[in-house]
Order: sequence, then structure tokens, then C-alpha cells
Amino acid sequence: MSADAHEHHDPPFWKKYIFSTDHKVIGLQYGFVALTFLAIGFFLMMVMRWSIAFPDRAVPMLSDFPWFQAWLDDEGKVTGELYNMFGAMHGTIMVFLGVVPLAFGAFGNYVTPLQIGAPDMAFPRLNMASFWSFLIGGIVMLASFFLPSGAAKVGWTNYSPLATTTDLHFGDLFWTGQTLWLVGMVFLISSSLLGAVNFITTIINLRCRGMTWMRMPFFVWAMLVTGFLLLLAFPPLEVAAIMQLMDRMAGTSFFVPTGLNVNGAEFIAAGGGSPLLYQHLFWFLGHPEVYVLVLPAIAIVGEIIPCNTRKPLWGYKTMVYAVMVLGFLSFIVWAHHMYMTGMGPAISTFFQTTTVLISVPSVILITSILISMWGGSIRFTIPMLFATAFIPMFGFGGLTGLPLAFSLPDLHLHDTYYVIGHFHYVVAPGTIFGLFAGIYHWYPKHTGRQMNTMLGHLHFWPSLLFMNGIFLPMMLQGMAGFHRRAFDGGKAYEEISAQIFMGDGVIARAFQSLLGRTDEVLATMGRVTAEGAADHSIYLIDLNIVTSTSAWLLAVFQAPFIINIFWSAFSGKKIKNDNPWDATTLEWSTPTPPPHGNFIEEPVAYRDPYEYSVPGADTDFTPQFEPDAGDEVEETPNLTPEETVEGE
Amino acid sequence: MEIPYEVTARRDTGLYNAKVGIWLFLASEVMLFGGLFSAYVFLRVGVNDGVDTPWPMGLDVHGSGIWLGFLNTIILILSSVFVVFAWLALKERNWNVFRNWMSAVIACAAIFMCVKAFEYNKKLNHHYGIKLTDDSVVEGEIANGTDKISFEASKVTLSLQSDLPAFVGHVDGAFPDFTVMEGEETVTLQGEKGLRKWFYKKRARVSQDLAAARKEFRAAKKKGEAAQLKIVSTKAELTAVKPFKLLAKDRKVTNYDEKKLNYIDNVVVEGKLINDYVELIPHQIDLQMIPIGRQKESMVWSFFEKYHQVRPNWEKAQEKSLEKIRGHFKGEPIPGKVVQSAYINLHTIPHEDFEDTAGNHAKSEEKKSEDDPHKGDHAEEKHGHGDADGHDDHGEHHTISVPRSDIRFMGNHGPRYGNYYAIYFTMTALHGLHVIGGALVLLHFVMFGKKLYLKNPEHLANRVEVGGLFWHFVDLVWIFLFPIMYLL
Amino acid sequence: MASSPEEIAKHKKAYKAVGIALLVFTCVTVSLGAFPIFDFGLPGATWEDFVIGLLVATVKASLVALVFMHLNHEKTLVYKFLIFTFCFALSLMALTLFAGWDPIKEAFETVRTNGFPSLKS
Repeated sequence: MSADAHEHHDPPFWKKYIFSTDHKVIGLQYGFVALTFLAIGFFLMMVMRWSIAFPDRAVPMLSDFPWFQAWLDDEGKVTGELYNMFGAMHGTIMVFLGVVPLAFGAFGNYVTPLQIGAPDMAFPRLNMASFWSFLIGGIVMLASFFLPSGAAKVGWTNYSPLATTTDLHFGDLFWTGQTLWLVGMVFLISSSLLGAVNFITTIINLRCRGMTWMRMPFFVWAMLVTGFLLLLAFPPLEVAAIMQLMDRMAGTSFFVPTGLNVNGAEFIAAGGGSPLLYQHLFWFLGHPEVYVLVLPAIAIVGEIIPCNTRKPLWGYKTMVYAVMVLGFLSFIVWAHHMYMTGMGPAISTFFQTTTVLISVPSVILITSILISMWGGSIRFTIPMLFATAFIPMFGFGGLTGLPLAFSLPDLHLHDTYYVIGHFHYVVAPGTIFGLFAGIYHWYPKHTGRQMNTMLGHLHFWPSLLFMNGIFLPMMLQGMAGFHRRAFDGGKAYEEISAQIFMGDGVIARAFQSLLGRTDEVLATMGRVTAEGAADHSIYLIDLNIVTSTSAWLLAVFQAPFIINIFWSAFSGKKIKNDNPWDATTLEWSTPTPPPHGNFIEEPVAYRDPYEYSVPGADTDFTPQFEPDAGDEVEETPNLTPEETVEGE
Repeated sequence: MEIPYEVTARRDTGLYNAKVGIWLFLASEVMLFGGLFSAYVFLRVGVNDGVDTPWPMGLDVHGSGIWLGFLNTIILILSSVFVVFAWLALKERNWNVFRNWMSAVIACAAIFMCVKAFEYNKKLNHHYGIKLTDDSVVEGEIANGTDKISFEASKVTLSLQSDLPAFVGHVDGAFPDFTVMEGEETVTLQGEKGLRKWFYKKRARVSQDLAAARKEFRAAKKKGEAAQLKIVSTKAELTAVKPFKLLAKDRKVTNYDEKKLNYIDNVVVEGKLINDYVELIPHQIDLQMIPIGRQKESMVWSFFEKYHQVRPNWEKAQEKSLEKIRGHFKGEPIPGKVVQSAYINLHTIPHEDFEDTAGNHAKSEEKKSEDDPHKGDHAEEKHGHGDADGHDDHGEHHTISVPRSDIRFMGNHGPRYGNYYAIYFTMTALHGLHVIGGALVLLHFVMFGKKLYLKNPEHLANRVEVGGLFWHFVDLVWIFLFPIMYLL
Repeated sequence: MASSPEEIAKHKKAYKAVGIALLVFTCVTVSLGAFPIFDFGLPGATWEDFVIGLLVATVKASLVALVFMHLNHEKTLVYKFLIFTFCFALSLMALTLFAGWDPIKEAFETVRTNGFPSLKS
């Protein structure tokens, strides 16, 4: 880096804010792009929810937009094709373009170097390349909506051979959404790999004086493990993407079995491939990816809880080891997504065991965070509210996963709304609440102003309510057997219920009787068929409306947040000093906002990261960067080798 | 701002940044190629006997081509040695020696890629296989470009809601002018450019018309009127001014008859079918999918009887296969099980075991290529002056003509020919990309490293070490690729 | 790390030796199916050749990794990365491969074709 030449004059705008190599700018870029993608993904979901709740009615407002003209049907209703496209892209955008970039790209980039006292990432230019690769991937994905074929339509998992044989009736297969999904994925994977290399190197090699492994804030540990997950889990997906690309573009049959029939005709290919291979390669990434989504959120909560309870993080070391075990185990649980593929019982047992095992470290993390709150003098600031809400929401999501870990209950629950409810509880009120907490927490670090508390409350409480309004009904519907891919929200069940009686639906009946709907009431509503048979989905079909309305209201109550972000940047309450939350970690020792190079003086970590309410101390927090009177750090700038034994 | 530990190693980790970075990157590369090797093992072990095409031995596929793989292995190993020498030269602070060794590495990379290109070219352009409906296979070299369906087209019906139709890329010779009815008047589209321009404009208009019709329909419905959707035609009929020739790729055509060609993108081309025979100069036949003992009844023979003066000699090939095993047992009696397995493993009859219908060995001019059945060079020269559409012109060139109705699957030995070929091309191409990438980085050090060398030679040495590590990894992958792709 | 001239000379020698060893091993590999000299088992590439071929490849790869890539004297941190990576790569290969393995069905099939062992005798 020839930094000296640049320090004298301000770099031009495009170099400072667009093609910047500064980790903070890149972090913000990641953040804004990811939030935009989250909004887009949310919008797709709202259209889908309309189709589920009111399959017979035209979509309001959208039917006159040019793009929708081509995809809605004549009467303006959502078509199955559009639903499939939005379903696939909702998943893809939320996971790969929304949450991961926000959690890992934005928070990781902005906070990690600050917390370990590094001037920047280890490879700043690589960092920039990583962001731009991500953006290109995202643009490719978005652009695919505007092709005649539309975007990818076969689910965010893109299972072959469906993905191989979709949209073959287009002259140029490259310009179909299905192919561009793969191309976009290759860019996103490259971005993640570069990012992961950068993060791990930074954490290993750029820790400041005194920042030993066990003095690193928990957030940094989580980022380290997340980095390893991305680094080692993404390449197999890249393999899968390349192979599927070959299947589509070069006509290979990696995932095409012999004698495959498509639309009643034999699919012309050499055959001999295995659709299962795709699933293995996909879920080898897919499961660690879940922890890529969740770990940063847990880590953010782990930062906010001690700060707002004025107590050290309980069981810091245990949490560190737990997060490492979690990372390790997450690589050998992937096939629990595949119980329905006819996997042999021996390996199925193995995966059931590891899946149950992995809940142990997760519970350790959550329990430690929970115990950290015990007996603290809690400040319910906005970030703290989100962090507190994260715990039960994530816990609920995690616990509902247990039945899915066993192959027998999974036979019943597979591909139902129960699964959707389960992982959305983990990711939506779980991870996204964690990320909101992070935004509220670190916002003053960059802007020098607090986010507005009123708007914050207006954001938090409705969000909490409606998140549950969306996902709780899904659990009930899922147990009643609602299939996740029914674009009419299970209307078909009503029609077939005369022929197939699916069970007695105890829970469903109970729920309906809570609403005062007995069989007689339902009969008057025309919900019981002529034969008097009613499958339990009928009792629950109205929950679609509850869910959808909650989703739209949730969208409405994101407005205070968006307003807050922009309004507070100019008119928020100014913070009293560089450390507005009286926190202890290193990022609060920098000027606000941190300049290029971050620290004015060389930072030194004198103590553990969470020294709150130390007995005998002047204040209830003793920051890592505050030297004691008699404290002396070793003269050598490096650490002693003994201090580096732990770590992956 | 200075990033610490760019040149010197951090004491507790003992590593400088780039070295941590490259090892992490290599770890992810291990997972990348690990995934590919897993796929290779999974696909190979997962071959379903009697259903899927058996996995070929690399040795059988490449024949004498394994020497190219061998050559490439040697080249990569040498380049690996050169890289470490280049690095040591930098450690000795000797720029010129470094430059020479590094140039040698880049030269090696260039040779490697040239050999690779040669190999690919052979497979893609000179090897072709046809799987008949009874799963017997005849392999050879395609003659007269007959792998494509030739068709004389005069009228095209296309959809205006899709992409540019695929037939545009299949036109043989000058692109035709089309006429199309626009309302009352006839418009002439000049060449490909004219067609494209018209197509995109028309497509946009149709989508606007559709949208308007729907809008009207919805509005009427909202008011409660009896609404009827205005029908917008999304089809267009193009008539060629002069009939033109299409060479259609069979993958893009769903079905066809004497008068019509139905493309996969729902485009219908009308005209006259010129030829739907595939002409092949056979190199070998492959009967491994035919049940044992029924090989003589396979469909393949009929083509040789009908169109070809030479035919494969099944008995001779059997004898030869046993001969090999006899040599192994050195005169001792051969166990029955081994004899049986020799017959089972015998699935290909190479060209050298072809003889003419009179029972003599194949013609003397063919003998030149006998020792290497894969070398079709002189055969290619010959069919250069062949008749374009004469599938009955077979005698001299020894082509056989196979009607498409008897073909289940066909293709050149490209990635789509089978899973072996698929993974061979995918892995070697991905490896080739790594070679190119690595070579570019190393080239960068030679071309632009002098400045850094003068400023801080240790920094350049570090970079070269890191680049070298990547290069060794590329070599290491090849060390595994060579046996599993070329030999076993 | 190479720093003194003697050490560099020593390195050069080692690299040359490894280079020659690699070339020799390559010849062994190529003759596995093609030439009688190292063609194990029946003529052509058979499972014996598989085992030998992959073993030779592993030896070659180890030589490259240990000597050329200096893994014979690397920092512990690098070993840690690589151990985890190999664990995961192997688990990907092995678990994927064995996912279809169904011992119960196998036993069931055996019983169906042969009858219960006790009943048979």
C-alpha cells in the first residue's frame, strides 16, 4: 500500500465512497446493498402471500405495472409460474444477497478490524473485489427477472433434474433465468470465498498488541468460525453450480439419470447421472450456511447483552469452544435435509445423531447469553430490545427443529409449512432481529448520532408482534400437512378433501374451536364437503389470511426503521463521547467516525473484552483499551506463542 | 496507513499475511477439487449395471492419447521444480536467474495449454459416437457434416413471446431475406440484421398489445360488464424470399418429418427435408450394452452389411482378447472365470479388426491408420471432396449411413457424450483455468516485479513463494487427475 | 527457511531429487495399464492397477506437498487449517458415497433369496 502519497490530499469521491478499499466504506456498501436486497426479497414474499391468502382475487396495485403484465394472468391473479419464480428468488435473495452480506459482509467488515485493533483488513483490495463480485452476482440475479424466461423458478435449492430441464424451450439457454442463477451464484460464491480468506487472515494476523485469542470479543470469534464455514462449505456448491451449468449449457448429464422423462418424452442425454449428487453437494453448503446466517446474529446479541446488562458475558470461554464445536459439527449434518431421498438407514442414523449433537453447542450459546442477563441492571435500549427478543425467537426456531432432526417425524413434516415456520423463526425474528440490534447498536459509531428511540419502539414492537403473526400459524398449518409449494395456499385441499380424508386434525380443531368455529359453523361457511368429510387443512386455511396480513403489516412497520436510518443521520441526538453505550471493546476507542486507518494511536488490549461492573473500579465498565495504573503490556509487539494454542 | 505483517512474519503465528491467505485459499481449493473428486467417485461407483452406459477405462478412451497426458504431467512437474528454483534465486537476490526460471515456468504453462487444446480438438472434432436404439454404439468420424439435419426451409412460424429463435444460428450459407405480413402490407426483412431488428420491435409491440388488452379486460370486469379478452396474435409467419438451407442441431429440434421441423423453442420451419442420415467413417463398434451372447444380433451389423464394404470381425476380436490373457498365464491353462470375464470385457472392436465383406483385411490404404485407430487424419482429407448429400456414396470412404430414426443418442466425444467425458472435460478445463490463472500471476511477477525487487526483494520473494504454492497445488491436482482420467 | 547460501544449496539438491523421483513415479503410473512391466493383475487396467496407481499418485502428491510446498516444516497454524479441510473433504466424499448404503435391505434381500440361516440347515 502506498498510503503515504494519499494521506496528504483527500481522494476523489468515487475513490473514497465507491471504489474504496477502506473496510468501513466497504462494510457500509455491503450494508446498504444488502438492506435493499432484503427489501426486494420481502416484496416478492408479499406478492406470494397475496396469492396464498386470496388465490381468486387479482393482485392489487401491481397488475398495471409493465413487468407484471406479462406474468400475472388475464384477470390479474398470480400465476403458478410467477409464484414459483418469486418463491425461488425470495429464498435466493434473502439468503445469499440479503442476510449473509448484511451479517458477514457489513457487520463483519465494519466491526471486526475495529474490535481487534487492526488498521484495515489484511487485503484491502481483495476486500473491494469481494464486494464488487457480490454486487455483480446480485445484479445478474435481478437482471434475470427481465428475461423472457423470467428468473429461476425451481426453488432456492435449484434441485436437479428439474433445474436442468426447466426453460429448455428457449433458443439460447444461456439467457434463461435458470442459467443466470448459476452464473450469479458463481459470482456470489467467489465473493464469499475472497471475503472469508480476508476475514480469517485479518483475525489471525492483524490483532493488535495484547489482543490474545482469549481476549477477542465473542463477535470476532463468531466471525472467525463463520469465515471458516464459508471458506470450506462454499466450494462444493461451486462444484454443483458448475456441474449444473454444464448440464444446461453443454448438455452433460451429471444430474440427469438414465431414461429421464420430461413432459412425456424421453430427455435426450447420455444419462447415468445422479440427482442425489446435486443434493449432497448443495446441502454440504446448505447446512453450514444456516450457521453462517445465525452465528453473526448470536455474536451481535452477545455483544449487546453484556453492554446493556452491565455484566460480563457469562461463560465466555465455554461460548468460544461451543462456537468452534458448532462450526465443526455443522459440516457433518447436511443430509438431515435429505431424509426423504431414500437414504440408507445406517447413514441416516449417523446424520440424526450429529444433528441432535449440534443442538448442544447451540443451547450452550443461548443459555450463556440468557444467564448473562441474570441479575444485571438492564437498560432496555432499542438494540437491547431486539437482542432480548432474539433469544426466545431463536430458541423457538431451534426447538421446533428437533422433530425435523429425526427421520420419522420428518417424513410427516417434510416440505410442509412447519419446515418453513421452523427455519424462518431462526432466520427472520432470529437473525434479522439480531441484525437490527446491531444496526441500532453501532449506528452511533459511524454517524456520531443515536437513532431515534420513539421510531425505534415503533419499529420493534409491531415487528415482534407481526413476525409471530406470520410464522406461528405456519407451524399449525404445517402440522396439518399444508404443502409449502402450493401457490393457492392449499385451496386444492378443499377440492380433494371429499376424496381423501387426511386425518382428524386434533390441533386444528382445537385452534378453530378457540376461534369459536365448530364443525357446524364451518358447515355454514361451506367449508365442509357434501359428504360431511373435512380434512384438517380446512380448519386452518383461514390462517393464510392471518399470516399474509401480518406480513403486509410487518412491511408497513419497517417504515419507521427506514425513516430512522436517514433522519437520525442528520437530526439524531448527538452522542456525548466516542463511547456512547459505555462499552468495553476496542471499536469504541476510535474517533467517530473512525478515520482511514482507524486508530489515532496504536491500540493495545489490556484486559478481557467484557469487564463490566468490576468490583472496586471507578465506573461500571473498564474498557479493554484503558490501561491500569500499574498495568504493563509486554514490550514485544507480538504475542507469546503459548497464547495462540487454541483456535481452529 | 500501513498494513502490518505484509513482508515480515508475525511472531506468534510465524506467518506473513499473504501466506496465511494463500493457505486458506488452498484449503478452499482442496474443498473445490475434493467436491469434484467426490462427484467423480460417486458417479463412477453409482453406474447402474445394465441401465447406464458403463464407465470407460481412461486407457481405452485415450488410446495413444495417454502420451499427451504423460507429456503434460512431465511438463507440470518440471515447471514445479522451476518455480522453486526461481524462488531460491530471489532468496539469493539474483534477479536474472529468477527471471529465467520463471520464464521457463510460463513457457511450460503455455506448452501445457497447447497440448490440452490439441487433445480437446481431437476429441471434439474427430471423434463421434452414435448410440443406436438397441444401445449398441458405433464410433468414428462424422462425414460431410451430417451430424446436423439438413433441411430446405421456405416458411417459418415463430412465437413473439420468446427469445430470438434458435434456427437463426443454423442457417447454412447466406442469410435469407424474409417477407412478413404487417396488417395489409408485406414487409421485407433484409438478412439477419433485418430479422433481428424486426423481431425485437415486434416482440415489444406484442407485449404492449397484450398488456393493453388485459388492462381493458380487467377494467371491464371491475365495472361488472361482460368482458371479453381481445385476442392478440403472438405468432408470426415469415416467408423466405428464396428457399434457404438449414443445418439444424439435433438438440434443438424436438421432432421433424419430410415437410416440417419443430424446434424446441416452438418455432416451426416448413420446407423440404434434404437428409436425415448420419454418415460416419467407423473406427470401432462398442457392444457393451448388448447382453452377452446376443452381440451378433445387434443392429450395428445391419448398417455394415447395407452400406459398408468392410465390417468388424467379431471372432477375431474375441481371439485377440484371449490372446492377451494367454500371454499373462504363460501357457498355463486359463481359469474359466477369467475367459468369461475376457468376453464380458470385450466390448469394442477397433478398426484394425475390420475386414471387407469378402473376408479380406481392410483395404491397403486403410492400413496406414491401423496402428492408431484414433488418428483419423487421412480419412478426413478424403472426405473433403465427398458429395455433400450423397449418403449412398459410401464405397470408397467406407462410410456407413444411419437413419436418425435408429439413433437414440449421438454426439462428438465432448462433455455430453457420457459422464466420463463430462467429468473429464469439467475437471481438466477447471484445472486448465487454474493453470492459466497461475501463469498470469507468475507472468506478472516477471514483467512488473523488478520495481518491487529493487525496493524490497524480500517482499517479491514472499509473493513468488505464495504464487509458487498455488502453482504446486495445481501440479498436485494434476498428479491425481492424470491416472484417474487417462489410465484407470 | 532458506537464508544462508549453504541452506539454499541444500534446498536445491532436495528439489532436484524430488523432481527426479516425481518423473520416475510418473513413468510407473503410465505403465500401469499400458505396459506389462508395471501392469498388475490381468492385462489392462484392473483393480490392482487402481490401488497401485492411486498409491503412487498419493506418494507423488505428498512429495510435492511436503518438499515443494514446505509442508515438512510449516507453522502449526497451517497444519490446523489443512487437517480440518481434509476431514471435511473426506467426510464429503465418504458420507456421500455411503448415503445409499442400506444394510437392512441387504439383509432382507439375503433372507428372501436364501431363507433364514437357521431354517436352511
